[in-house]
Amino acid sequence: MNTRIALLGQPNSGKSTVYNALTGARQHVGNWPGKTVEKNDGYYMHNGTRYTVTDLPGSYGLSGNSDEEIITAEFIRSGQADLVCILVDASQLERSMFMVAEFAALDKPAVLLLNMMDVVKTQKKEIDFKLLEKRLGIPVLPFTAADHKGYGELKGLFERELQDPHKLSSVPQTTVGVTGEAVLAQSQAKYDWIAQMLKDVTHADSPDYKLSRFDRLTTSPVLGKILCIVVVLAAFLVAMIVMMPFMTIGSMIPAVLNKPVSNLLNGWNVHPWLVSVFSMVIPNILYFTISMASFVFGVNLVFGFLEEIGFLARAAYQFDGVLSRLGLQGKAICPLLMGFGCTIGGACGTRIMDNWGQRMLAMAVVWAVPCGAIWGVIPVISSMFFGPAGTLLVCLLILVYMALMMWIVSLVFGRTLAPAETRSGMIMELPPYHKAHWKHIIREAFMKAWDIFKRALSTVTLVSLFFYAFSFSGSGSIEGSLLYRVGTAIEPVTRFFGLGWQTFMAFVSSAFAKEAVLGVLNAAFVGKSNLMEATFFAKTAVQDNAALAATMSQNISKPEALAFLFACTFNVPCVMALTTTFRESHSLKWTARVAAFYIGGALVLACIVFHISALFL
Amino acid sequence: MKLTETKADQHGSIREIKGDAHFMNRVTSIGITEGAAFQTVRNDKKMPVLIYLRETLIALNREDAERIEVEIA
Repeated sequence: MNTRIALLGQPNSGKSTVYNALTGARQHVGNWPGKTVEKNDGYYMHNGTRYTVTDLPGSYGLSGNSDEEIITAEFIRSGQADLVCILVDASQLERSMFMVAEFAALDKPAVLLLNMMDVVKTQKKEIDFKLLEKRLGIPVLPFTAADHKGYGELKGLFERELQDPHKLSSVPQTTVGVTGEAVLAQSQAKYDWIAQMLKDVTHADSPDYKLSRFDRLTTSPVLGKILCIVVVLAAFLVAMIVMMPFMTIGSMIPAVLNKPVSNLLNGWNVHPWLVSVFSMVIPNILYFTISMASFVFGVNLVFGFLEEIGFLARAAYQFDGVLSRLGLQGKAICPLLMGFGCTIGGACGTRIMDNWGQRMLAMAVVWAVPCGAIWGVIPVISSMFFGPAGTLLVCLLILVYMALMMWIVSLVFGRTLAPAETRSGMIMELPPYHKAHWKHIIREAFMKAWDIFKRALSTVTLVSLFFYAFSFSGSGSIEGSLLYRVGTAIEPVTRFFGLGWQTFMAFVSSAFAKEAVLGVLNAAFVGKSNLMEATFFAKTAVQDNAALAATMSQNISKPEALAFLFACTFNVPCVMALTTTFRESHSLKWTARVAAFYIGGALVLACIVFHISALFL
Repeated sequence: MKLTETKADQHGSIREIKGDAHFMNRVTSIGITEGAAFQTVRNDKKMPVLIYLRETLIALNREDAERIEVEIA
């Protein structure tokens, strides 16, 4: 029995909305064999039968401009789908029908979805879809993807067509040839065919176009850029506000569970090792995972909104010129700005990028942006050594190096992730502003958050246990921990990079949580607090920075402090951001590769900063 | 004249597109073909050219827009 459906459509056709609405959480993400292009498969049940849905990569055509187009054409040609559902934007019918014209040559069973009928209604346009259906020879269904009422009818249509399929009865007559001129002639023939198909079906608008007042602002060279930055930062704030309640509840878990659990287990005479696992590590894992999930929820909510209304396309238009130098699309501006707030937000913000390579590259570049937590640590430590003016200078230096690091990362990884031939200049559409369908946006954000929560638990657990094993100390004092023993043993080596064992330990812990840096330094220098608690309660504990300042400035030199600041800032991001990157990219190999590059890079940077600043300070 | 030399709110049609097969595929798949009517919506220095064509607002980077010859109506 035929049950395999593939979704085909141009960017902005609403394809992923249809895919998510059909399959819900029953999705699987993989890679196409041998390609860095994401493969999305899902399924749904209808009348007791399981239907699989493949979400084909979005592209404007099928003529082999990119990996996406080659894969898509090959997939359809090979007959791996029993039915191809082509989506077109009914509000831009003529242009969007180009995908149908491209598909025609593949000669496979299909149905046509005229999406965005809600927009067509507001344009007061009419489409005679019965006439179009007669001419094309395949079923044509007017549709509004974001409205969940239409899906019963769609599933019914799929069921009927899988049993009794139809192919296009009319196809464009094109010549063969691969030169520029031949391609142009073929495309002209396709648009001629579209004009024939659409004759009397609909009428195109008069071509006089006026930018709305808001769009005049968003597309203006200087004000538009400022507006984009303001909107993205505001969106980040909104995301924070949305996640705050969840985050607060999550942050209470370690504090609430710690005492009762440890009292209970101690009462049973359980080994202290196990007591701290259950009273400290596990509540903390829960807290981290809940924080991540709420972040993903907040970010997806605001970005889902900005994307759906069409704002992200304007941001892409504004920043394409600057970011193309890093091999990135203009859209990457959103995750990059988000990175200043939180790297997790930045990493999951890369969802808006069109292809996997771009997404992975954007994530690698986002890592170089110092997050909010780091901006909380830098001034504290820096002011202990360099005073207020010096701190300002340090922050400035960090920003300068950030730009350099972004460029280095794009040089190192850009060649593979975004090869030169895929870096074509921007040709994109700026879709008209749409009304946001909140129910759909919230549903999708919630699905993503739940997905991250489930998947991240295992990764965070693994890394937490690793850190736990390193920081556990039977006596409670720092000398009892594995980290201390390893740290002091390799101190001759870390000294070369400018770091003593205390700062090196803090550097290592910065990979766990950036906030842990202060706590670990406290444990190492002041010696009052427990190293493990410093690491695991980093986000909630109150530090006595005055005591730390007094001891630290006596024990370490200025060059070491500076080297340490740079090393921590440009180290791998925290465990949560690392996990998010892994979950978003679905590639352990690439996440590990980028992580190794950052760790190595941070040490080399520390070494350079230490030895150069030793000449002046 | 070149598309990059047009001014905002001018109407016209595409006269000639120059480029290799890859470029042709890209511009034509978004709707830019010879003879197609268009309106320049925005053309600012150092910014992509914004045109309205086949009911779609399209942004084209300047380098590519240089290769498109147009006729002003």
